[in-house]
Amino acid sequence: MAALDPIIHQPARLQIMAALCTLKDGNRVDFSFLKDSLALTDGNLGAHLSTLESKGYVTVEKEFVGRRPKTFLSVTAPGKDAFQGHVEALRAILSSP
Amino acid sequence: MNITPAEAAQALSEIEASRVAMRRAIRSTAGHVYLWIWGTIWMLIAALGCANLVQAHPNVVINSICGLGIVASVAFGAVQARRMRCQFDMRFLGVCGMLLLFSYIVWPSVIGFGPLTHSLERSYAYSCLIFMQLYIVAGILFDNILLWVGLVITALLLAGLLLLPALFWPACLASGAVLVATGFHARRRWSH
Repeated sequence: MAALDPIIHQPARLQIMAALCTLKDGNRVDFSFLKDSLALTDGNLGAHLSTLESKGYVTVEKEFVGRRPKTFLSVTAPGKDAFQGHVEALRAILSSP
Repeated sequence: MNITPAEAAQALSEIEASRVAMRRAIRSTAGHVYLWIWGTIWMLIAALGCANLVQAHPNVVINSICGLGIVASVAFGAVQARRMRCQFDMRFLGVCGMLLLFSYIVWPSVIGFGPLTHSLERSYAYSCLIFMQLYIVAGILFDNILLWVGLVITALLLAGLLLLPALFWPACLASGAVLVATGFHARRRWSH
């Protein structure tokens, strides 16, 4: 049975992982786009992304679009697996007698 | 770590809310704008055709107006690319092959369009049919509504050109209106 992941279970990180796992494989989303979509602040999103990146769950890539630096985010395969396991563990808790 | 069933239910509902918010954000910046751009251009050309304002210099008028559409589409695409980056899809190659087949063999054969054709209606129908192929392909890949738009407009164009030539330009006008109306429908549907 899958176990709960304490890194993912924190509410903001749970939101971030759920949103990034919605993307198709290989797609990336801009930092500001994710921030606006989830109604998080720059600092809050940045801090939680650092935690998830250090665990290998998300990839943070910085590049220039025109002259402006942009940060693109995506979920890694281990991150997707960990999130899926976490969701299964939550469902198991609900379905257990 | 241990949590209660109530906390698990709360976490699952937060996950679902987050997924919905993300999907809504992605879709709100999606394709309805292209439908509006090209529907408007389509109607503009058809309206000018109805008023006999295209016939004198068809290439200049149609290419200029389509050029505006291309500039607007590229500009909007650049704005979208700042927010999302999509991975190259290998199916795209298959789609390109099918587009070339229809562009060079199928449609020229069906509507009698070729290098020696000097018919504004056939030229315009040809370019519109090519665009409708894109909608059909997009409909197969992403959303049935685009498939139906592609099929309906293809039928309108072919009927106007081959069966009721006198109604060709009104048929084109109706086709543009279908695109614009689909843009409004798509904005509502793709936001949920």
